[in-house]
Amino acid sequence: MTVTSCMKKHVVSILKTATIREAAAIIVSKHIGLLPVVDKNNKPVGVIGIRDLLTLELPDFVSFVADVDFVHDFGAVETTRPSARTLGKSVKTLMKPAISVDEDCGLLRAYALMLQHNLHDMLVVSKDGKLIGVASRVDVGVAVLSAWGKI
Amino acid sequence: MGEDLILPAVLACIIFFGSLIIIFSEKLHRSITAIAGGTLMVIVGRILNFYSEEAALEAIDFNTLGLLLGMMMLVAMLEPTGFFQYLAVLAARASKGKPVRLFVLLSVVTTILAMFLDNVTTVVIVAPVTILICEIIGISPLPFLMSEALLSNTGGVATLIGDPPNVLIGSAAGFSFNDFLIHSLPIVLVAWAAALFLLLRLFKKDLSKRPRSIKAVMRLNPAETLNEPLVARRILIVLAGAVLFFFVHHALHVSPSLVALSAAAVALVWVRPNLDELFKHIEWSVLIFFASLFVMVGGLEAAGVLASVIKVFERASDIHPVLFGVAVIWTTAILSAVIDNVPITIALIPVIRGLGDAGMDINPLWWALAFGAGFGGSGTIIGATANIIVVTLSEKTRYPITSKIWNKRGLPVMLVTCAIASILYALVYPLF
Repeated sequence: MTVTSCMKKHVVSILKTATIREAAAIIVSKHIGLLPVVDKNNKPVGVIGIRDLLTLELPDFVSFVADVDFVHDFGAVETTRPSARTLGKSVKTLMKPAISVDEDCGLLRAYALMLQHNLHDMLVVSKDGKLIGVASRVDVGVAVLSAWGKI
Repeated sequence: MGEDLILPAVLACIIFFGSLIIIFSEKLHRSITAIAGGTLMVIVGRILNFYSEEAALEAIDFNTLGLLLGMMMLVAMLEPTGFFQYLAVLAARASKGKPVRLFVLLSVVTTILAMFLDNVTTVVIVAPVTILICEIIGISPLPFLMSEALLSNTGGVATLIGDPPNVLIGSAAGFSFNDFLIHSLPIVLVAWAAALFLLLRLFKKDLSKRPRSIKAVMRLNPAETLNEPLVARRILIVLAGAVLFFFVHHALHVSPSLVALSAAAVALVWVRPNLDELFKHIEWSVLIFFASLFVMVGGLEAAGVLASVIKVFERASDIHPVLFGVAVIWTTAILSAVIDNVPITIALIPVIRGLGDAGMDINPLWWALAFGAGFGGSGTIIGATANIIVVTLSEKTRYPITSKIWNKRGLPVMLVTCAIASILYALVYPLF
């Protein structure tokens, strides 16, 4: 079985010319965790997720202080918002590289790549490199486990 | 200098100054540069017969390395206990979230720690908590980070173990822990207070901003920052014992390195930490940097370069000794700001020792060297390792410290502290 058997075919994506504000608006309205960033030929050039967007609001100390359990109140941080200038920047400034598999990729190979690259969703592209779907860990995992019933 | 000595001297100079230029350009890690330079010095010395492997080993000051290693091990054991965060949180609560008070208290805590521990490690540990405290209050951490580096550099000059150049000078001149408390501490206290006052003025605009959330800082519980209170208590007892021994090491005819290594050994036996984890926190690259520089400067000495420099200085001995000392403070300070105070100190130590052999009273010059190397490091980002640490950290935050920002505050601090050191040096010269 290939990854196309379990992937979602209706993919919401965003053009690389869009802003961070537009990416956030799509993520909110569609209630999704990951947004592929594509060029005008629908070829993926990157991905932007909730985690990437939240780094704009997360305080700096979270990356430096190993244990923040003793901080019971984040104080001013809780009301800090990214500036309008930051939100107006291109998605390209925040996106991560796009990691994708071809449409004929097997399920276990797709799952192994997701584990190695610590991804929750994998982009699936056609032979000519166009985005044709997204498969989550759950999609791939369920597809693999469903074969166990026939054993 | 005989003709047969010209080639070794020229090559030794090329290796040493070439290494300094590479360190200055930051094209290569300073420890890699020093290893390559030191090795090249021994190879060239062997080929031209002016430097041997035995002489290179003898050039390494193991007293300095032992003292640094011992203190690094103690700090590496204390770091995971959360003790440093504990002190910073105590300071934050005592400030009641008022920026100026927080600025003074955090600077005092960092400086006191840096006087007894390696100031680089102190800054590495205190800076992240500083960012945390500033962020939850809602003020920029930039003035706090800069003052912690600048004031710990300044305060570190007060003690034998507070600053790497002091460790080097103390070992070379045979100065005790108490010698530093008597000769250096009073001058440093005045220079430190002036630096703090100056920084408060320079950051007046940033510190006058009203904090957005004072309540959050009062909800920080210092006790919760201590991960291992028992281990922290044990290491602090050992550290206190070490400091007591530092006070009397001269009377007991025991070297400071033996005190530091013994304290580290006692703590290791008492705490029994995971050695692999502990060794990850030892700054081996710093120790290798020091050892390699000793080898390089040993080569300069063997090639007769330092003897020529000493002769030049001897001719300048007609200059009034006070003026000569002040010139040493400023020359060392400028060189330390531009390059790095450690190689400058290691290179100048044999020069001063040579002047002593030639009959000059060098006791005051050692202090001039300590003030110049210690205070000069404030001038630029690359002047001291603690500066590089806070700048690198700030670059990962929303408040990056640029060279322009640093020079506007660091350079005045360097000029003021060096000026104060020069005036007080001249005033109390007969006491040195």
